[in-house]
Amino acid sequence: MAMALFSPTFSFRISTSAPQRRRRRCFVQSSQATVAIEAPSSSTTDLLLQVKDLSAVIAESKQTILKGVNLTVRHGEVHAVMGKNGSGKSTFAKVLAGHPDYEVTGGSIMYKGLDLLEMEPEERAIAGLFMSFQSPVEIPGVSNIDFLNMAYNARRRKLGLPELGPIEFYGYVAPKLELVNMKTDFLNRNVNEGFSGGEKKRNEILQLAVLGAEFAILDEIDSGLDVDALQDVAKAVNGVLTSKNSVLMITHYLRLLEFIKPTYIHIMENGRIVKTGDISLAETLEREGYKAIS
Amino acid sequence: MSLSALNSYLPKPCAPPRPGGRPTRTKVFAQPPTLAILSDPHVLRLAETLEDSIAASSSSPPPPLQKLRDISSQSLLTTPWPSRKDEPFRFTDTSFIRNSEVHPVTLAPTQNLDVLSGLADSISPNIAIIDGYLVESLSNLSELPDGVFVGRLSDLNSKGLMEKVSKYVSNFQGDLFWSLNGVGAPDVVLVYVPEGCKVEKPLGLRFVSMNRSYKGSKSLPISNPRVLVLVEKGGDIGIVEEYVGGDGDDRCYWTNSVMEVVVGDGAKVSHSYIQTQSLGAAHVKWTSVSQGSKSVYELTEVSTGGKLSRHNVHVKQEGPDTVTELSSFHLSIGDQLQDLHSKLVLDHPRGFSRQLHKVIVAHSLGQAVFDGNVQVNRDAQQTDAGQLSRSLLLEPRATVNVKPNLQIIADDVKCSHGAAISDLEEDQLFYFEARGIDRSTARKALIFSFAAEVIEHFPDVTLQKKVENLIRTLLTPALPSGV
Repeated sequence: MAMALFSPTFSFRISTSAPQRRRRRCFVQSSQATVAIEAPSSSTTDLLLQVKDLSAVIAESKQTILKGVNLTVRHGEVHAVMGKNGSGKSTFAKVLAGHPDYEVTGGSIMYKGLDLLEMEPEERAIAGLFMSFQSPVEIPGVSNIDFLNMAYNARRRKLGLPELGPIEFYGYVAPKLELVNMKTDFLNRNVNEGFSGGEKKRNEILQLAVLGAEFAILDEIDSGLDVDALQDVAKAVNGVLTSKNSVLMITHYLRLLEFIKPTYIHIMENGRIVKTGDISLAETLEREGYKAIS
Repeated sequence: MSLSALNSYLPKPCAPPRPGGRPTRTKVFAQPPTLAILSDPHVLRLAETLEDSIAASSSSPPPPLQKLRDISSQSLLTTPWPSRKDEPFRFTDTSFIRNSEVHPVTLAPTQNLDVLSGLADSISPNIAIIDGYLVESLSNLSELPDGVFVGRLSDLNSKGLMEKVSKYVSNFQGDLFWSLNGVGAPDVVLVYVPEGCKVEKPLGLRFVSMNRSYKGSKSLPISNPRVLVLVEKGGDIGIVEEYVGGDGDDRCYWTNSVMEVVVGDGAKVSHSYIQTQSLGAAHVKWTSVSQGSKSVYELTEVSTGGKLSRHNVHVKQEGPDTVTELSSFHLSIGDQLQDLHSKLVLDHPRGFSRQLHKVIVAHSLGQAVFDGNVQVNRDAQQTDAGQLSRSLLLEPRATVNVKPNLQIIADDVKCSHGAAISDLEEDQLFYFEARGIDRSTARKALIFSFAAEVIEHFPDVTLQKKVENLIRTLLTPALPSGV
């Protein structure tokens, strides 16, 4: 599949020629030039995720939330997205994960050379895209260990690797619990049922540690966490980071960024990324608010 | 229509019952015309048939049993067959039983009973009740503590106990089916737990229907098993009631069962009830419970069989500080009706109760009914009562009728009720997908976990596993395709 190369100053792109069953519309249109700080060598082998001009609406009401988001993430990078409430940060994360509440109306998302918009949510997950939810849902009647086992085996099956039975899986999972500072009885509890906010977030990170991911999207992983829990979570995230995988964090506060050091920080406003910088951007934001940025 | 004209249509009157306590066989149903006008001829005919079959088989019944029969037959004189206009049967169509030729079952003691020797794999101690008759040869009562009695009322030798039982017999008035059982039960199986006695292992009661007719034939054999569980002060027992006879076939029969449970002060009864009868059968059951002060009654129910399955639960509080927990799961995978009518009557303070009712209807002709009544009367102050009903409709035109109702008169109480009828939650399905699990596996897991919430309430772990496997098997082919 031919990849389109573009430099920051051009304003059109070449569409891919391979005929494909399109389940979602994928426009080819001219885009505005975005101001982005990118590494000087934009070689495509480094690219993990490339979002171009993504626009999306709420499926039911057709209200537009994303109005042309552009983002490039390379292997080993940590990106943070900040912005006012309602700017579209969570929506962006959910669209990347394939949430049925949203409909993509324009733009493209390339992930490891694959057209993400052509993939079902479970296919995206198996391809290494992990999203940690802002408010994880409770699933009474399904225990944590069964859920993790199902997800793990789904991945193994896809990769043609042998699946693990419950006992072997327990052996694999138990050590990972230390990463998130949770006890083994946690595995027998039902998924997120009766969990405190902090426990739910730590459960998300446990799933990340067990399933592995090449690209982890953490949607407000710090909300509802006390200082200790935050440190545990940050340590766990740092523990799974390697030079091969990347993280996209959505957050409001500088606090998280002090533990997980970002390569780039993006400010989202009104459905698009309007500014990109490094950690100093976050510091300005903390001191002076969003007015200082826009 | 004149009275004399009416007279000619009705059974001829005969001599009224002889005075005195002799248990002679009397035909109660050939009564003076005035009373007979209020009767339903169909009911009377059925009652007569039952009476005749009982008289033919047993010798003189013990006093409580005779008393039960008298009271029941008296009430049948004025009880019509329920119609859809009667509130308790508004959503429940009983025409299947009404229009069949119902005939009572007489136990053929040796016929085919070796087929059932496989029952030995069940939990012990256990008793086998075949077509309403207790069969000792298939029961195993070796591990019961001293003082515990499990057996037929007619085999009870202790006078003191017989007197106790007399007090409890038919204090309660149920509906037509309750009275039919009263007239047709060949005997009462008594489970007696003396004061302070804790029965370690749960007692299994296996109900099997051997007499069955083929689908399409209008004949419907009826059996009337009746059990009385009497637990004295401080006693503790677990009961596992299983109605089997499914075998994947759709043979027809009618099991009209009654169980009365008397939980003494400070006693505990943990009641597990599993119904997996044939898909052509009618299953009508009454569970009438009376709870003394500080007693605990826990009912966990799973009902998957029967073309028509109706469970009536009546729990009456006789003292304060009681704990009542009712959990039930009904599954309709074919042209079935699963019905639970429950009534909890609270007249004393500080009662605690929780009711959880879950239904899955997985067939477009499947139906379910739930009527959960809780009466918190004037003296039931500081009651804490909660009720939750959740139904999952998995096929178009699957039907569920839910009527949670709380009647609260006391003013210092905490009561809640909730009912939800839905398909699976989209959020939960997406959570699975976002972790790489495909939609159809996610649906299977979520549907199973819906049932699991109730199955987890079974006190015995082996029983839990058994029921889990059963539900898994039933749900797998029944899942709608194309999701």
